[in-house]
Amino acid sequence: MNFSRMFHNLNYVVSALLFLMGLYTVVVKPNLIKKLIGLNIMETSVFLFIVSIGMVEGGEAPIVAEGVKSSQMVNPIPQALILTGIVVAVSTTAVALSLCLKIHERYGTLNAAEILGRGEP
Amino acid sequence: MPLAFAALCPIWGMWRRKACFPWSLLGVAITSFLVWSLIGKVNASKVVAYNVSGWRPPWGIQIRIDYMGLLMACLITGVGLMLLIYSWRYIVSEIKEERIPYYYTLYLLIFTAMLGFSITSDLFNFFVFMEIFSITSYALVAISGERMALRAAFKYLLMGAISSLTVLFAIAFLYSATGSLNMLDISSRLKSTAYLPVASVALILFIAAFAVKSALFPVHVWLPDAHSIAPSPVSALLSALVIKMGVLGIFRILFTVYGHSFSGLSSTWNSIAGVVAWAAALSIILGSVMAIIQRDLKIMIAYSSVSQIGYILLGITLISTRGMAGGLYNIVAHAMGKACLFLVAGIFIYKHGLRRIENLRGIGRTMPVTAGAFALAALSIVGVPPSAGFVAKWYILWGCFQEGQYAFVIVVLLGSLLSAVYCFRVVYYMFFTGAGRPGVGLDEAPFTMLAPTAILSVGTLFFGIFATLLLPSLNNAARVLLLK
Repeated sequence: MNFSRMFHNLNYVVSALLFLMGLYTVVVKPNLIKKLIGLNIMETSVFLFIVSIGMVEGGEAPIVAEGVKSSQMVNPIPQALILTGIVVAVSTTAVALSLCLKIHERYGTLNAAEILGRGEP
Repeated sequence: MPLAFAALCPIWGMWRRKACFPWSLLGVAITSFLVWSLIGKVNASKVVAYNVSGWRPPWGIQIRIDYMGLLMACLITGVGLMLLIYSWRYIVSEIKEERIPYYYTLYLLIFTAMLGFSITSDLFNFFVFMEIFSITSYALVAISGERMALRAAFKYLLMGAISSLTVLFAIAFLYSATGSLNMLDISSRLKSTAYLPVASVALILFIAAFAVKSALFPVHVWLPDAHSIAPSPVSALLSALVIKMGVLGIFRILFTVYGHSFSGLSSTWNSIAGVVAWAAALSIILGSVMAIIQRDLKIMIAYSSVSQIGYILLGITLISTRGMAGGLYNIVAHAMGKACLFLVAGIFIYKHGLRRIENLRGIGRTMPVTAGAFALAALSIVGVPPSAGFVAKWYILWGCFQEGQYAFVIVVLLGSLLSAVYCFRVVYYMFFTGAGRPGVGLDEAPFTMLAPTAILSVGTLFFGIFATLLLPSLNNAARVLLLK
């Protein structure tokens, strides 16, 4: 395995690891809030990945001005995507948290196993 | 357009609760009219395209209504209109009064998002619309606020959110491999890209994620809970249209973005299509078996959705013209049939609070129209001629023979047999048992609930008898997509 190349693309490797970590948390942890945190970790990892795509070493803001070459500009599209992505992620989290609130009201617990056990009213 | 109506809906609701329904109806009706006016302007090789705010693709976002998009849009507006009319009387009985404006708002939002999802040609826009309809559907499942509904919604949310993120990850992969977000542009750039492994990983991620959205066999576990516990018009909406969006996603990725005759990735593409076909075959069998052992009518119908989605995806991934046409035809047949079944189940709950299949004894005598609609839709789900479901399954079978996939022939026939078992069991209970109950007159549901149900069930028959209205153009579309 070519380690120097892996080190060069550290952002990508880290984001993949974070994605898997988040997935692990969502699947394994019984607490609903922890599951949500796992979900947020996954979201962040994807954002990290997309922003890294657009990165240029020593790049400039993508504004047409004196003395800035277009090859020096940071790619603005991934950043715009992430802005939208963050909005989407926030709304998912908001819906999920309000569901958690209601679930806690009705079941008196946030443990997934206990909630499943108390299924039938 | 419906988005504006959705934004205004809560304001109307604050002013006067009763105003919400006519307002949403107006919005949906105008949109439907606009969509239907496009019929005939689009065929397999002709599209209607509109560049948002004047930017040409691949830089700007383009809305591109191709054949598949128009088919889905017509289906969404048609079925959506019926469900909206139905929910007017029904929804009052299942959710609290102060939540009704929210219901209509969410309804309009999900309607908008599905339309947008079918007609956009920009991958990121695709993702955003997908998130809008996913998040609204989590909220719609939970809207009654009951214990089971909350649990089902949370389960749905976890699986849905993971699959959405996977789609976003895949879009990022594709963007890094091609530097574009427009589907057609990506498709042409993929042919010359040096990053084939990246593109094939993206393909796998896409398919896995949309398999969750369309409730394909190993990842269908959220569907029975969410679809059976939601209020009936919502179940109908989710089952008839929202899971079709997952199918549309798989379809768009496999055919619009990647394409069948694609040299660099063709082995990956073929093996993925094969995996999807086998998963679909398993869905057909297991969904039907699970449906047979259920005692709750709505859970049974929900499991039947799993098996019907299997038929659609099997047809699409057979890579034969007939099979593809059959799969697409089953989208139409299943949307109408399944919406009708859920609406009938809703009428039983509305009138008598009945959910168990055994309790439906003799109900065909007091509610003949409702039970008749159920029987017609069930015929289509099973695939008895001359219903729409029959045409669809016939073409899928034909496709299996064309490709020499005899294992799938057995699966399709066995699936039909199993679905006959679960559908006709209910029909049997409704019509042929519990006779001799004295002094029971006709006791039908209100007209606004009965009419949409009846129209949808007659629709399944109509598209079965007049299959020639759609089939030639579907065949053409399939031929263009598969380049045969």
